[in-house]
Amino acid sequence: MPSLLYNDMQFSVDPSGDRWDITYNLPNGTSALAAAGLFPGLAEADAAIRALALVKTIFPVGIKSVGPDVTHPNRIGDLKIVGPDVTHPNFIYWDKDSVSSPKTL
Amino acid sequence: MEIKGSVALVTGGGNGIGEAVVKHLAKAGAKVAVVDMVQKNIDRVVKDIKAMGGEAVGIQANVTSEADTARYIKGTLEAFGQLNIAVSCAGIIRDGTMLSLDKETGKVSKKLGLDKWQAVIDTNLTGTFLTMRDAAEAMVNGGWPGLLVPISSVNKVGQVGQINYSSAKVADALMPKIIVGEFLMRGIRNIRCVAIAPGYTATPMLTGMNQDALKAILEDVHLGRLVAPEEIASLISYCVENEALNATTIEITGGLCYPRGIAK
Ligand SMILES: NC(=O)c1ccc[n+]([C@@H]2O[C@H](COP(=O)([O-])OP(=O)(O)OC[C@H]3O[C@@H](n4cnc5c(N)ncnc54)[C@H](O)[C@@H]3O)[C@@H](O)[C@H]2O)c1
Repeated sequence: MPSLLYNDMQFSVDPSGDRWDITYNLPNGTSALAAAGLFPGLAEADAAIRALALVKTIFPVGIKSVGPDVTHPNRIGDLKIVGPDVTHPNFIYWDKDSVSSPKTL
Repeated sequence: MEIKGSVALVTGGGNGIGEAVVKHLAKAGAKVAVVDMVQKNIDRVVKDIKAMGGEAVGIQANVTSEADTARYIKGTLEAFGQLNIAVSCAGIIRDGTMLSLDKETGKVSKKLGLDKWQAVIDTNLTGTFLTMRDAAEAMVNGGWPGLLVPISSVNKVGQVGQINYSSAKVADALMPKIIVGEFLMRGIRNIRCVAIAPGYTATPMLTGMNQDALKAILEDVHLGRLVAPEEIASLISYCVENEALNATTIEITGGLCYPRGIAK
């Protein structure tokens, strides 16, 4: 049952028959099923590699610049009014020190 | 095309019609990608599909974003290795008449806000375009047979109070003709496109509607009730299996009529 740590997010890859489930273990102690019944017949190590690639795609995180959302301007005549881009679904608030890259003073 | 063993991506798959489509296809043996904006709904649907013994991946995304669209297509391919069915169910309503008049003066007191126009066009039209475009790209490059399903609405004919919604849905209904014409021109013979135009369907979307208006509308439905989301899901499954259905928009309304019996 491999456990993956990616960008401070904890996942486990659990066998389900000859397939694999990926569970996202949330910091508040609850969990959510990210995927079920994947990678039929794959060995544990290979499933873990595929699972990591998948969660990196599904849960993109990183430094997010919150700037003007130039792709969705409101147009009034020739005028383009752009609002802030704050709609990223996986925006992470770094209110605690990173586990994978702890601050070194 | 056989549903069993195929891979389906459904936007708006966390609720309403999309949820019914995801579950129907999973039950028939498809592997499904559940794309939605609401994570807790995605989690619920993926869990339900696991309980049915199915295969699913949940991807939170906003269909109006080009980057998100690329991400959920990539995630689907990483999970299942191919893509065959793409159904664009993500949609919203922001109803209102274009103008509101002051009862006393008869002058315009309010206009439909650009925010309401833009949000509906972005989600219901641009979002559908992005999903259809990028799903088709994956199918063509992967060499997989496929079906693209934009979700239109019976209100594509033009509904008062829905200038934003009807404008988007009539454009969605046109997509099959344009896309299949383009495929023919390009020699792409193994990908079809069929849009579905539901009538009033029993989903949470209708809870946002004026309930008196809804009651009045139901009097004009020959079937005498709302369409069930599962009935739309079973129509989409039929479209997957029947390869002669192509380049068209199919209405499923229960017989919605204009008052005085003219079919809508
Ligand atoms: N319910 C009806 O009577 C009816 C009738 C005709 C057409 N339709 C169309 O069918 C489709 C589904 O409608 P429904 O009734 O199931 O609605 P619904 O509100 O129950 O579900 C829509 C889903 O789309 C998701 N969504 C909305 N915006 C999104 C975005 N930007 N990115 C990702 N996901 C987003 C929502 O989170 C929700 O889960 C819509 O396109 C709607 O216009 C519905």
